[in-house]
Amino acid sequence: MTEYKMFEGCTIGNRIPFIEAASRKVFEKIGVETSQAPFSCCPDPTGMKSFDNDAWLAIGARNICLAEAEGKPIISLCNGCANTLRGVRHQLKHDNIKKDKINAQLAKIGKNFKGTVEIKHFVDVIKENLNKVQGAITKQLSDLKIACHPGCHYMRPAEWMESDDPLHPKNLKEIVAATGATVVDYGEESLCCGSAVSGAYPDYGDEILKKKLLSVSKAGADVICVNCPACFQQFDTKQKDLNKKFNTNFDIPVLYITEILALAMGISSEDIGLKFHRIRLKKEM
Amino acid sequence: MATDFEFRKQVMDYHVSSELIKYCYQCNRCTDNCPVSDVTIDFYSQGGYNPRSNILNALLGYKDAIFGADKLAIWGCTVCDTCDEVCPQHIELTEIFSFLKNVSTAKGNAPENIYAQAKAIFENAKAIPSQAAIERRRQQMGIPAVAAPDVNEIQTLFKNMGTDKKLK
Repeated sequence: MTEYKMFEGCTIGNRIPFIEAASRKVFEKIGVETSQAPFSCCPDPTGMKSFDNDAWLAIGARNICLAEAEGKPIISLCNGCANTLRGVRHQLKHDNIKKDKINAQLAKIGKNFKGTVEIKHFVDVIKENLNKVQGAITKQLSDLKIACHPGCHYMRPAEWMESDDPLHPKNLKEIVAATGATVVDYGEESLCCGSAVSGAYPDYGDEILKKKLLSVSKAGADVICVNCPACFQQFDTKQKDLNKKFNTNFDIPVLYITEILALAMGISSEDIGLKFHRIRLKKEM
Repeated sequence: MATDFEFRKQVMDYHVSSELIKYCYQCNRCTDNCPVSDVTIDFYSQGGYNPRSNILNALLGYKDAIFGADKLAIWGCTVCDTCDEVCPQHIELTEIFSFLKNVSTAKGNAPENIYAQAKAIFENAKAIPSQAAIERRRQQMGIPAVAAPDVNEIQTLFKNMGTDKKLK
């Protein structure tokens, strides 16, 4: 059995840990083993990479070194972290000059990047174990209509994420369908949630989110399913603000795919802290 | 508009594949598919965030057109990587935009949230530092405490690479 190094990331670990709780419970049910390592920030592919690409490479490579020291693959609970770690490895693998430059820096803290360990987004690990997921499901979620939002960095750039079709993603839908829920298609499935641009230009982030939510509402979804903490926060915390700003009435609960799976596996909503969501789930499951 | 050949070379050399930029024929698929262009550019293609213009200016070495314009010209990018996927010439646009952002940051012109995050990482090794209330919540939910990262190692990397000098 493969043991993964758990990369929960800053947002899940230090802000919305209930998502980690649900994920750990689901991993346990399907036999995915994890252990911890003292990882730093991945760092953020939309923030720190924009600040200084070389520092982003060095800090990211240092994280990969920690997993390499144990010879274990990394499992990331977050699109951003998976995108950074895979992106760092991609840049260093294809550019020896950069790799030597970064390794010269890492040598000063007693590390050396080789690029030998696998870096996995947790959705891909779940998909590989879909049979076990199906086996662990005790409760069919047949009366739920779910809109899937895998988020940009899960599948783009396809060049180094190598996870799904970059513009017509299907993995998350397949996993949701395994719970018996109805997957609803909507027009803006591959549209960004608007989170990254919101830091500098909140109004533009809001406009993008509004477009996304209008499309989800039109499709008649009860729930939005996500697999990224940045998208989760964007959807869960901003619907009320949008309603005030645009005179809309968005009120769509947002669930992490591992929360949906946990509920389908018979784990109680209390055990996974669903009460910490801003928008509560309406239907009893 | 003057061409800055040094800047043009930096763009071409930024990544192993960034010289692909020279195959851009300005088809506008990037801008047509950009979610930020969609909410900022009007019907007559005026104003707003425009990835196609950034590529043209970078290719021609029009440094002043990029860095002399409103910050939105660079920082309107939401890093969704959609342009990379729709580009018929396989140009990795987002990587080139990342380079433009790095230059803008070094000039002290990045948005405040960019400096704030880098500072948080420098000080805590995490973009979001640990808080007592969340630590208690983790404990209540029966999940282990986050393994504390080595802040000294992160600060050593920052200092040796001169990254700390770019902080505000």
